[in-house]
Amino acid sequence: MIWLDMCLIAIVFMGVIVLGNNRLRTTIQLFAAQSFLLCLVPIMILPGFHAGILALETFVLKVVLMPLVFFWAIRHVSIRREGQPLISYGHTLLLGGVLIAGSFLISARLDLPVKISSNLLVPCAFSVIMIGFLLLVTRFKAITQIIGYLVMENGIFLFALLLLEKTPLLVEMGILLDIFVGVLIMGVIVNQINQEFGSASTVNLVNLKE
Amino acid sequence: MQKNLNIYRLRYMLILIHFLIVLIFSPLLLGIIGKTKAFFAGRWGAPLLQPYYDIFKLFSKGNVYSVTTTWIFQAAPLLSFVCILVSCLVLPFGGIHAPCFFWGDVLLFAGLYTLARFVMVIAALDTGSSFEGMGAAREATFSCLAECCLFLNFIVLALLSKKLILSQMVGGDLSVSWWTDGPALILVGGSYFMVLLTENARIPVDDPQTHLELTMIHEARVLDHSGWDFAFILYGSAIKLFVLGGLLVDVLLPLDHQPVLIQMGEFFVGMVILAMGIGCVESSMARLRLNRIPQLLTGSFILALVGFLVVLIRGV
Amino acid sequence: MNFLFCSLTVLVMSILLICLSVRFKNICNALFLGSLIVASVLGLMAVFHVLISPVVEDLYLNIRMPLGEFYIGMDALSAFFLSAIIILFLISGIYGYGYLKTTEAKNLGFHYALYQFAFMAMMLVVVARNGILFLMAWEMVTLSSYFLITLHDERPEVTRAGHLFLLATHIAGFCLWLMFLIMASHSGSMNFDQMAACPFTPFLAGIIFILGLIGFGVKAGFIPLHIWLPHAHPAAPSHVSAVLSAVMIKIGIYGLMRVFCLVRDFPHWCAILLLLIGMISGVCGVLYALGQHEIKKLLAYHSIENIGIITLGLGIGLWGQIEHNSVIALIGYAGALLHVFNHAVFKGLLFLSAGSLIRSTHIGEIDRLGGLLKYLPWTGHLFLIGSLSICGLPLFNGFISEWLIFRGLFEGMFHLPMTGIILSSMGVIALVLMGGLAAACFAKAFGVMFLGNSRSIDNSLIKESPMSMCLPMAVLGVICVWIGFFPRSMVMFAFHAASVICSRPIPPEMGNVILSPLLMVIMILWVVVIITAILVFLKKKAMKVLPIQEGPTWGCGYSYMTGRMQYTASSFAESLLRVFRPVLGFKVSGVKPEGYFPKEAEVSSHVVEASEVFLFRPVFEFIKFLSGKLKRIQCGYTQLYLLYIFVFLLALLIWKMV
Repeated sequence: MIWLDMCLIAIVFMGVIVLGNNRLRTTIQLFAAQSFLLCLVPIMILPGFHAGILALETFVLKVVLMPLVFFWAIRHVSIRREGQPLISYGHTLLLGGVLIAGSFLISARLDLPVKISSNLLVPCAFSVIMIGFLLLVTRFKAITQIIGYLVMENGIFLFALLLLEKTPLLVEMGILLDIFVGVLIMGVIVNQINQEFGSASTVNLVNLKE
Repeated sequence: MQKNLNIYRLRYMLILIHFLIVLIFSPLLLGIIGKTKAFFAGRWGAPLLQPYYDIFKLFSKGNVYSVTTTWIFQAAPLLSFVCILVSCLVLPFGGIHAPCFFWGDVLLFAGLYTLARFVMVIAALDTGSSFEGMGAAREATFSCLAECCLFLNFIVLALLSKKLILSQMVGGDLSVSWWTDGPALILVGGSYFMVLLTENARIPVDDPQTHLELTMIHEARVLDHSGWDFAFILYGSAIKLFVLGGLLVDVLLPLDHQPVLIQMGEFFVGMVILAMGIGCVESSMARLRLNRIPQLLTGSFILALVGFLVVLIRGV
Repeated sequence: MNFLFCSLTVLVMSILLICLSVRFKNICNALFLGSLIVASVLGLMAVFHVLISPVVEDLYLNIRMPLGEFYIGMDALSAFFLSAIIILFLISGIYGYGYLKTTEAKNLGFHYALYQFAFMAMMLVVVARNGILFLMAWEMVTLSSYFLITLHDERPEVTRAGHLFLLATHIAGFCLWLMFLIMASHSGSMNFDQMAACPFTPFLAGIIFILGLIGFGVKAGFIPLHIWLPHAHPAAPSHVSAVLSAVMIKIGIYGLMRVFCLVRDFPHWCAILLLLIGMISGVCGVLYALGQHEIKKLLAYHSIENIGIITLGLGIGLWGQIEHNSVIALIGYAGALLHVFNHAVFKGLLFLSAGSLIRSTHIGEIDRLGGLLKYLPWTGHLFLIGSLSICGLPLFNGFISEWLIFRGLFEGMFHLPMTGIILSSMGVIALVLMGGLAAACFAKAFGVMFLGNSRSIDNSLIKESPMSMCLPMAVLGVICVWIGFFPRSMVMFAFHAASVICSRPIPPEMGNVILSPLLMVIMILWVVVIITAILVFLKKKAMKVLPIQEGPTWGCGYSYMTGRMQYTASSFAESLLRVFRPVLGFKVSGVKPEGYFPKEAEVSSHVVEASEVFLFRPVFEFIKFLSGKLKRIQCGYTQLYLLYIFVFLLALLIWKMV
């Protein structure tokens, strides 16, 4: 029980550190670590075959494969750091804190029909979604944006764990596959942006508005 | 009447014991940190007791005063030393109970540190040197932010224990909370560790080893002090590390229903581990750029904030 | 009560006599000082009388005024505010005599008369027991303060500040009239005791609260209603600014407290609103203060900060009152009250010493001063005491009241529901932030002005102010230290006043909850003092044996240090302001040095006053626009005006018929 709580809070915290970080390598590593903790959560909630499969697929996809793709991508386009983000790092962090507080307070009011194994699960899921969202909004580099998107997906995954007993495995698999394909396509796009403009920043996409 | 008198005597004895522990052991922590850093650098390093030698040496030296300065410059190190020393009275060291405890002693604890800082800041401005003004300004900035984090930690501890007495917010009584609110306590510990590093001017916030760099905070502030004054400053910062570190150890390693000796032993082992931990951090990290320090403190604030929220959710 | 009445009578007499003898300067001065002292002593005796016998005494004079009676009364709350008012007016008055003695201000007699008038009006406000009397006294305070502020009305900024003050306080006055009319129409009387007996619905209480908040808040200087304050305080002569800042803005707080006495059934959001206003006023006030480089303006912004602190105490007290938790209510209110007194004392002290400084140097810019402690020892050390007190540091009075407010907030955290926990925690954090920022701000102000070397002027020409100015300041300094070490009597006084606000007796366990911890605080502070004394003694002994050298400050290898190379107030504040830049609108502008032999470079920083620029200016622009449109109606033809009257009468007639 207490380990589950710690795990959940650590997941939120990985997200917070990603918010305050500007090195892409560390960001990817943090994402991998977050996903690793994530794959422990279903096992802790409901040890069994179903959860085991879920954990395994998360592990394979998010902890191993996707980081590998990302590492390949940043090596390929040779970028190391996020540039100046939309809001400075300190303020992004503060904003993240506000969002976390908001999601905790909202989920305290939330009345869920299902039995919850830990009363931190919902607030943490909310917070992780919010953090991912913040990453998506404030960062320019395509890779950080993808990671933001994935962090958000991690949050949704946590949310889905509420229904762990009821969800068919197939749906999970389908979602994960979608994401994986999405990431691959994004990887290609990053590459293309880089070749086209000489840098992998999404700011360049502004030029396409006409 | 006689009984009352005995209680008073006991309290004075306890106060004296507390002072003695702090005065005797605090420089040792600096020594341990130094040794750890030397170990990581592959050197033998200065002896473990080097801080004692330094302080002793300074106490036997005369003073050099700038003609610009006033009495404030001479009085500030002494006053700040006393404030830091007295602040230890409300803190338990493992099994040794705090000699003074009352509702709201946390506020006095923080207030004494603020007073110590204030007098040191104006003493730095007293010299009229631009370097020391710079150090003072930075100190004022970062400690102001760190204090917010510190109080958020106190709030979490107060909510957990439903008390406002420092010696019951930390220490033995906390061991029950660890089973129910472990995550919140870990968060508080993490947040407080960053505050500790900031308040004591350790890496990654400040580098205590070098002087006279444009980027320094604490060391730039005390450039003009010498002799007894500087000894007070050095000794004071050692005590500050000991007291604030002792608070962290009390939070992280609470032990209840054990003989006093075991608790004390555990406390001192905890302190040694803490000192080695700080040494490890100092060896493995670089000093942060100045404009990144508020970010570090924001991180610390968010840690404590999440801890607060966790306690809040639990309480509902 | 009789003492108080005598005191008021003495003041009225003295006003008349001073006005009659305006031409004779010496008689004027003697009359002013004499009546001030007599009236103050009488007033203080009235306060002591209340302290000894806590029986509520009322005085009812059958003077028929339109709509009301001359009905005054004394309870612990009135007495508490009365004590602050009397002490401050007495001390600032004596100081003001010394301050104005040498200057060639015109109409000095009238100034003294107005000062007495303001004194009398303010005393009347806190003892009035009738709505009309209260409002009349209130307007008297406003008017007399206006004339006091505009003593030096030959300077255009003074006139502007005066007008702004008048405008703001009249808008506030409008809200107050409305509020009292609502209360009176609901309870059927303008007398306070009848209002207190009448229950109000929560909706009505909410409206009364909002009106009171605006009406009293303008006077008290809540952000964003504070815009008159930073202009008026620097414009006034120093002893007047001391009175304004120390007690005049506090009667806004008094008004709110009195409303809390009269109306009981406030909804919850009132307390939440008060706490939020307290946090915003406090944090923004001190941030703006940090960005100011003019000493009196800086102090003015600090008044806003301290009003924020008081409001925090008030808010948590109100919440306790709503929740029927008398411990929280009492601690919160008592903290707020004690801070009212303390702020009166130390802010008075700070303004007076700032005035003494400006009188000696003719400079108010912090960045141009430096190293004055050696040349202005009285002013400097008293300013230091004031700074230490205002930062809420232990050993001084600010700490005691902030300790009480902290205690109130923490009690709220333990006993209130979840919203209460969140808001009290936010309050604690805000209070801590204010404390840290205030410490930085006063370290800056004191350090830059009084320590180091002079930045622009030759300090050796500067003379200390006369004793008639220094002694009053010293009295205030002594009060600061006295409350810091022996707070018991003032804390009890504050608790009596607080028990009047929430009309509950002080529970017997209060001694355990508050007084015995306070005793321990004091004990630890004495430990600090004793150890300091021992160490000082030891150091003195050692210094006799050890060699002491003197030399210039070490320039870090640079040998041509000048005073202008020191850290200035702007540079000291810069690192903090940079952190808070998004909330502040902190602007740095300048010309950067270029090339190997740069010709000239400059940098300047200032803080944009957000509520003035973004809130009030657009609103007033809009009003100006509207009134420009309305101008067309006023074309100058008398015939047309007659037509208007006719149309209006016709409209009334039709309205009545329908």
